[in-house]
This record gives sequence, C-alpha cells and structure tokens, in this order.
Amino acid sequence: MEPRNEELDVPNLTDWLNTPLAGLMPVEQAFRCHVCKDFYNSPMLTSCNHTFCSICIRRYLSTDPTCPLCRAKVEEVKLRGNWALREAVDAFVQARDTLLQVARKPVAAPSPPKRKAAEYDETHTDGRENKRHRMSTRSRRVKGGEVTAAMMREEYDAIESDDSTYSEPDDGLVACPICQKRMKVNQVDPHLEASCVGPPDEQSSSASRSRGNPNSNSRSARPAVQISPQKTRPERLPALAYSMIKDGALRKKMAELGLSTAGSRPMLERRHQEWVIIWNANCDSAKPKKRFELLHDLEVWEKTMGTRAPTSSRAAILGAQIKDKNFDREGWANKNKNSFQDLIANARRTRNQVEKQNREASEEQQKDSEKQRHEQLPEVMDLTGPSSQPEGKYKAEGKSKAEVEGEGESKVEMDIPLDEGFHPADYSPEPPHYGILEQPKEMQYVPHQGPVPPGNAEMPIQSKPTFLPQ
Amino acid sequence: MAQSTAHRRLLQEYRALTNNPGPEGTPFEGGVFPAELRFPKDYPLAPPSMKFLGEVWHPNVYPSGLVCISILHPPGDDPNHYEHASERWSPIQSVEKILISVMSMLAEPNDESPANVEAAKMWRDRRGEYEQKVRDGVRRMLGL
Repeated sequence: MEPRNEELDVPNLTDWLNTPLAGLMPVEQAFRCHVCKDFYNSPMLTSCNHTFCSICIRRYLSTDPTCPLCRAKVEEVKLRGNWALREAVDAFVQARDTLLQVARKPVAAPSPPKRKAAEYDETHTDGRENKRHRMSTRSRRVKGGEVTAAMMREEYDAIESDDSTYSEPDDGLVACPICQKRMKVNQVDPHLEASCVGPPDEQSSSASRSRGNPNSNSRSARPAVQISPQKTRPERLPALAYSMIKDGALRKKMAELGLSTAGSRPMLERRHQEWVIIWNANCDSAKPKKRFELLHDLEVWEKTMGTRAPTSSRAAILGAQIKDKNFDREGWANKNKNSFQDLIANARRTRNQVEKQNREASEEQQKDSEKQRHEQLPEVMDLTGPSSQPEGKYKAEGKSKAEVEGEGESKVEMDIPLDEGFHPADYSPEPPHYGILEQPKEMQYVPHQGPVPPGNAEMPIQSKPTFLPQ
Repeated sequence: MAQSTAHRRLLQEYRALTNNPGPEGTPFEGGVFPAELRFPKDYPLAPPSMKFLGEVWHPNVYPSGLVCISILHPPGDDPNHYEHASERWSPIQSVEKILISVMSMLAEPNDESPANVEAAKMWRDRRGEYEQKVRDGVRRMLGL
C-alpha cells in the first residue's frame, strides 16, 4: 500500500540527508525512540540505562518483561523519567523547523555523499556554539576549501532570513547572524563577542517554527526548566493479575474506571491493560493530558486493535454479523436488492462469456482434429467402406444431441450461428467428407448413448486407437 | 488523527527507506527480489512476516517463499531451538534491518535448521549445482 502524500509529510530524520546539515541526522536519531521511531515522548530510563518513550516501554513490558535493546530483565515499576533528555528533545523539536529551513536553502556547494546513519561518528551540540562547530565539521566533510566561503555566505543568509521571501539589500554589508544588524564583514566577529544584543524579533521566528509542528507552540510556552514540578499528578494505576480476578469483578472495576465492558473476556483484559498503559504513561508526561483525551486515545486503540478493529476485512465482519441469529434477513435483503441483482447479472454475463470462449476453443479443437482426421481419411475409408457413408451423415446429427447432454463442447452446433467469426460452410455437415470424418468419432460416442445402430457395433474397437480425440 | 502506533511507525520507516535506501555495493545490487512484508496490527511489538513472491532457491526460504530467519521470530518462541534471543525480533528492529538480514542470509545460508531441506543439501554437498540453480532462478525472475 502506498501511503498518501500528505501522510508522508511526517518529520523524519532522513530530512537532513543531502543538506549541509546532514550531521544532524544522528543527532535527531539520538532524540528518537528506538521503538516508535518518533521523538521521545516522556522518555523513561530502564534499570539497564536504556531509554524509551513511556508508552512504548510500558506496552512492550506488558508482552515481555525485558529491555527491547539488551533483553535485560526490566520491571515496569522501576522505570524512571529521563527529564534531561525530555528537555533536550523538546528544545530540538522546537528548533527543528528553522534548522531545516536553513539546511534546505539552495546551496552552491555540493551536497555531502549519502551515508548510513550508523556511519556518522560526529556528534553535534545544539545551542549557540553549534554554528562554529557545524561549520568545522562540514568543512571536514566537504572536500575542497573553495566551497567553505560559499557555505559561510549561505549560512549567514539562511540564519538571517527566517522568511524565505527576504532578499538581502546589496549594500556591501552583512547582517549579524544573531541580531540582524548590518555591518562590514570584519566587524561581525568583534560584534558577536562584545555587543550583540540577541535575536531582534523572537516572535517571527517562533511563528515560523510552529508552522510545521503544531505541538511546538504549547511546548515553547513551557519554561525551559521546571522548577516546581508535580503539582497535582494523577495517581498511577496498579496492574491487575488478570488470572486472579473473576469476570464480574473485572467488569465492575472497568465500569468504575469508566471503560466500556463490551467484548469477550480476553478483550476486556486487553482493554484494561491498554488503559493502564495509557494512563500510567500519561502520569510520566510533563504536561499530562486530560482524562477525555486519554479516552480518545483508547478509542483509537479500540478501532485499530480492540473490539472495533478490522478483524481481517470488512467482508469478514459483515459475514460475522450475517451469521448472527438476530440478524434482520428481510431488511438486509431489501437493502441490498440492487447489489444482489447486479451481482446476478454480472455472474450471468461472465458465464456467457466463458461459454462463448469455451465454444471458440472447442471450435478450434474441432478444426484441429478435423485436420488430423483428414490426414487419416484414407484409412477410415478402408475401414468403413462406402456403405457406411449415409449412416455417417445421419449420425452426425445424433452426435450433436449426445454432446448437448454431455460435454463442455455441448453447444457447439446449437450456438454456432450466433458467432460472428464462424463460417457455416467450414462446419456444415454437407461436404461429403464430413460424414466420413464424423463417423469414427461417432463410433466412439455411440456406446455411451444407448441405442447402437446395428452393423457398427464392432467398429469402436477397431477405430478407437486411431481416432480417439485427444 | 486517528492513527495507530503501527501506522505512525510504518510511516517513519517508509520515509526513512525511500530517502535512504540501504547499503550499496553488495553482490545482490542490481538483482530484483520481489517480496511481500505483512505487518501485524500490533507492529512493532510483533514482527512482520516476509514472503518472496518469485522463486527463491535457498536453504532458509520455504518453497512457498516464506523467509525463515531469526530476526522475524518473536523472542518468545524458538521453533528451531538454535536461535539466540538476541537475534530475534524486538521492536527496536525495523524493516531496514530485516532487509539487511535477508541480504546477508541470501549470501550466507544457515543450514542448521533449513526451511528448504533439498536446497540445504544441495548447498552443502553440491555447491556448484546450487549456485547454478540460484543464478538460473535470478535470471528467470529478471525475465532474462
């Protein structure tokens, strides 16, 4: 299945490939969960020092209590939030759109060769010093000093133009990469050291950031460091030992939690388990969602994995409904009357087509076998003698009747006039040889037919080896 | 945006694969091996299954085309009793890793517990005939 185009517009670490900032690919990879391949959402540290999204690791531990990376035993209750990583991820996500815009500005420099993520050994820090660092790694990677100047130019361009329509005035000056103040090239460094006042217009840049990422707005509202976390945190739910709990008790518990109690017992267990996972993962979040939002998440689960999941196909679900004893047969028949009729008409049409094809095929066959027989004709005549000729003609008609009753070739004679490609002369029983030709075949069919014309009774035995239609 | 975890994750992998199509310079570069990957609803918790659509004569490929390698087996069950848990499926694996594993499997069959016993015997005892048969199969698949 080919994903739709708009779906493909998800931020992916390969966005950095073929840009001057390809070095950010491993950075981004470090900020992404190994399980869901998305940016860490409430990253949790395991006792083996690996990190996963809270919901990813909780879900995995519900199937297998080991670390997905190193397979060490991991207890869910021992997971600890990795808050520093959470801050780093949030910061990177916020900066990502702007960085990508910068990276995607057309450059004169050749793009670095494609490489696999694992091969990257350089790592980058983010933040202000990033600029200098990035330049040095790039000049290491892109061979040839002549491109460095072009890249520096591009870099200044890119940083100053948050909106792409901005065009640089041709005044022989350059803008400070931070505060956009214009000055001579050699003044930039001292200015950066001493007098730069910082970004001039925070708003415009944050607006451009939030364009591609709906989450970034709310995230940027959060203070960089949480000084007083844990105001009123929701309490984590305990896991249930499902084998120890009776149906009624489980239903009661789920009703208390406000969950649906539809479905079989295994479905109830899975739903409860999923709710516990969603709920507990939410408890790890810096910005816990509201209960109704979590219920919506459970709804998504229900549609994809739960009771309302497409079990195998739409047809299978319908099939299950139809087999139900309370099924409204009348209503169903009325509702689908038209489709039933269409289906019947279709079936008739295809059957006719198939029959027609069979007919044509059998005609071909007949032609072929006639040719064969034609070659063998002298022998036939020797066997049957001239006296059998009239009988042959008579039997040709009898034979067609026999075939109508029996074989797939049955309707050859009957329907031939309808066929455009057919030339009756070719198949007419009138040509004198036809009767003779038909005779051996006839002999073969006669025994199955019942009344055997006298005088021909022994013939099949003699003629069979020679005239058996293949 | 009602997207399941499996859906989102597969989108990520699809993008990564289309933008960065794996290693180059293997002996199989240029060969075309049409295959079908089927993903379960709880992907990536459970592994996908992989089936070659053409004819692949290989000790670790069932005559039906189904690929039998450890990375496609969940850690819980070990049908062949020789795989290390560390080689088997884990949600940190990905389509890319599967394809890499399959490429190395094609080059270096594992005949310890073959899926195609005949192919494994031929590979062990009559390597020349095996290679000829594989080459013929590849050529047929390319329509040559």
